[in-house]
Amino acid sequence: MNAASPSPLATIRATARGYAPRVLQGRGWVLAALVMAPVGLSVLIFTIGRMRGLDANPGEALRIFHEGLVKMMLPIMALVAAPAGIREDLEQRTLPLLLVRPAPAWALPLGKGLPWFAWGAAWLILGALGLQMVGGDPALLPGRILALVGAWWGELALMTLVGLLFKRGTLWGALYFFLWEPLVRIFPPFLQRLTFTHHVESLAGSRAAQVGAHQLLAQEQVTTHPALALLALLAFGALCWALAGWKLQRTPVGLAGAEAEG
Amino acid sequence: MISLDRASLRYGPILGLSPTTFELPEGGGITGLLGPNGAGKSSLLQLLSGLLPPSGGEVRVFGGAPFRNPAVLSRLGLVPEGDRLPAGLRADRWLRMMGELSGLSGPGLKAAVARALATVGMADRAHLTFARMSKGMRQRIRLAQALLHEPQLLILDEPFNGLDPEARLTLMALLRDLAARGTRILVSSHILGEIAQLTDRILLLFRGRLLAEGSVTEIRQLLDRHPVELRLTGEAQALARWAVEQPELAALRMEDGAVVLSVRSPRDILPRLQKAAAEGGIPLRALDPLDLNLDAVFQYLTKDHA
Repeated sequence: MNAASPSPLATIRATARGYAPRVLQGRGWVLAALVMAPVGLSVLIFTIGRMRGLDANPGEALRIFHEGLVKMMLPIMALVAAPAGIREDLEQRTLPLLLVRPAPAWALPLGKGLPWFAWGAAWLILGALGLQMVGGDPALLPGRILALVGAWWGELALMTLVGLLFKRGTLWGALYFFLWEPLVRIFPPFLQRLTFTHHVESLAGSRAAQVGAHQLLAQEQVTTHPALALLALLAFGALCWALAGWKLQRTPVGLAGAEAEG
Repeated sequence: MISLDRASLRYGPILGLSPTTFELPEGGGITGLLGPNGAGKSSLLQLLSGLLPPSGGEVRVFGGAPFRNPAVLSRLGLVPEGDRLPAGLRADRWLRMMGELSGLSGPGLKAAVARALATVGMADRAHLTFARMSKGMRQRIRLAQALLHEPQLLILDEPFNGLDPEARLTLMALLRDLAARGTRILVSSHILGEIAQLTDRILLLFRGRLLAEGSVTEIRQLLDRHPVELRLTGEAQALARWAVEQPELAALRMEDGAVVLSVRSPRDILPRLQKAAAEGGIPLRALDPLDLNLDAVFQYLTKDHA
């Protein structure tokens, strides 16, 4: 038979559809819980407070969004989901089964990552909608959704790339998210733009408005136009997927699964 | 179909395969790749299936270098070692994806999946997830994924590992059938009996070197200095008296009711032995070549290179 080689688009579509059922397994529900746990908990607390006659605090939704979802849960979601992408095939030694096909290898990381992106994005949108129940400003909702989905796209892609570049990709990713990102408050303007936090805040509104001046450290906070911030997140994600594909395309990956590491 | 010209493979400082040269012609048939663990079998198969590029020399399959080469990869199928498959997926859906990655689509894809499943006898169990399959079933699915696009070259790395005897025989019959239908099959094993049951044509690897190539008989002829052992059953004393007069005799030992001869050039001595027995010149009841098999060849060759 020896059919013609599939196109990159057909490769991405086939891989995404083939691996889509994986998101309905344990790891997928962990992702869902990572979003819904902080949102659900705050909705519960808000509901109890309301029953006792307390009013909603408009800053509460902003706090949960920035402190809970963006700073904590999004990075953890990326750290949880990315190893289930192409890295999983590398570690489980099932990658040769894919690489021995005539399909372009560079399209495989994106194809395997797309179901996880779609699943995580769906729950993040649900989470953003849930924040409306605790007094979220409706005018900020589109910006929050775009910020969450854009950051999820970029962070998942980054972790996929790091997972192909380094044997201990999860560790490097965790160091980036939990050591580098928090430094945004003391970074000079140029370095602020090299964080997800900066672009998320540009899209969704800054938490800095809720923080007293004495809590902000030395540097001036810069802003980026929301459209540019969204473009930066999407472009960065696309670049990471492309680099992950390039890495896989050029790296020999044998049956032992160790050749591509490090 | 396959040609290696001083192709070698290194894993950093470790030599996986020494510069190796050989050719396999077009057409069907089974070639066994034989060697102990660590001999370089998987290294060679990874070169041929395009998973790894050679560190030196040249590998050509269907006229092209196979590494990330769709034109070559669309004509070969690989069954890697082990029974690992992506967790949590259904076999039929996974095979559908693998078919799409091989360039199949539409009715052709559906027919290819059905045909591959029928070939490996898994048509009625393809709806199961891999976690619910036995090792033998998973091995059949792994074979099915390699057959989807009807490759002209099928490469199997240690396919019999972990299979029960029945599954082993089924797989052997399947491989013979595929070979009879024109597929060139290259199968590796470290178990000599498996290869001997499948084919007479072998490539023998040891410590990253291709030691020998050809049929068992051809390889045995290369080993002039290793006498062949023949057990002659009958009146041992009389048989021994006849044997010591033969110029090909290298050694002799007596057993109960038999004599074991180590002889050079068995092709010369065997006709005389048969003639003497037929004429009643020697009291011979049975003749058993003890080491004219794959195990013996393997032992001799690896002993020389150890």
